[in-house]
Amino acid sequence: MFKDLDPILHSQLRLAVMSVLISVKDAEFTFLKEKTNATAGNLSVQIQKLKEAGYIDVIKQFKDNYPQTICKITATGIGAFEEYVKNLQVYLTQPK
Amino acid sequence: MEQEKTLSEQESLRLITIMINKAKESYHDTGIGAIMWGAVIAVCSLVRLSEVQFDYRLPFDIYLLTLVAIIPQIFISIKEKRERKVKSYDDAYLDYIWLGFGITIFLLIHISNNIFGEWGSWSNEYRSITGKEAPMRFSEFVSPLFLMLYGLPTFITGAACKFKPMLWGGIFCWVCCVVTVYTTIKIDLLLTALSAITAWFIPGILMEVEYRKYKKEQALLNV
Repeated sequence: MFKDLDPILHSQLRLAVMSVLISVKDAEFTFLKEKTNATAGNLSVQIQKLKEAGYIDVIKQFKDNYPQTICKITATGIGAFEEYVKNLQVYLTQPK
Repeated sequence: MEQEKTLSEQESLRLITIMINKAKESYHDTGIGAIMWGAVIAVCSLVRLSEVQFDYRLPFDIYLLTLVAIIPQIFISIKEKRERKVKSYDDAYLDYIWLGFGITIFLLIHISNNIFGEWGSWSNEYRSITGKEAPMRFSEFVSPLFLMLYGLPTFITGAACKFKPMLWGGIFCWVCCVVTVYTTIKIDLLLTALSAITAWFIPGILMEVEYRKYKKEQALLNV
């Protein structure tokens, strides 16, 4: 029985962001931009969607008088990511 | 990267693997702390060696330099933390390991100073009764204890960060630890200096070169 893949995660940029965040404690927006090669505007929109889904926490603060955005995966996000990978494996191991 | 590109299952798994590896490769230590401690321990050991070899004494204990070095280390740690764009789970554990190492080293200094005091009076008494030097010098057994400790956080850091020069540096400290059990104080001090250079100074320089390269790439990418 195939489960539908989580539509929030089944998108290239959002999945890339979640894959980075699952591997680290937290990461700055600039770090995510560098690793995903996305534009700032694009990345902001996708981060907002992940935040609205409760998959990541976004902390906005100031560092040396410059705004700094820190992203951190939540427990809900970890659960959703694990479920997504599990479902992917089902898709790939079982004949359709 | 495109905004809403729909992925096939294989593409998704491939993307996850690539991004996890990219995140893991993001460890970039400046290496300044390692260079400083490698130099400090090597200088302390070599100066002490020259004191023993040429039979003179500085007006202060050269190992007090290690206490002075804590001050720049605090500033280095704060600066590195502020500049770091990503915090890995390993960073937090490694910080605790090195903090624990520092505390253990100072406890060992405290313990060995106390034993030295006791040993000194016992040794003098032995000399006054027998007219001969005590058959064992405690100072000959201090270096192996320190080298044993030097190896531990160095080996763990090398393994956790997949940084082989530090991993081998840690192993080198342990090899020297075994050797110094059987050697004289002069060889002990020489091997301690060599261990500090191998375990921290050289890996620190390699880290610094890598870090400069990374910063240059970042500047080119204008991130």
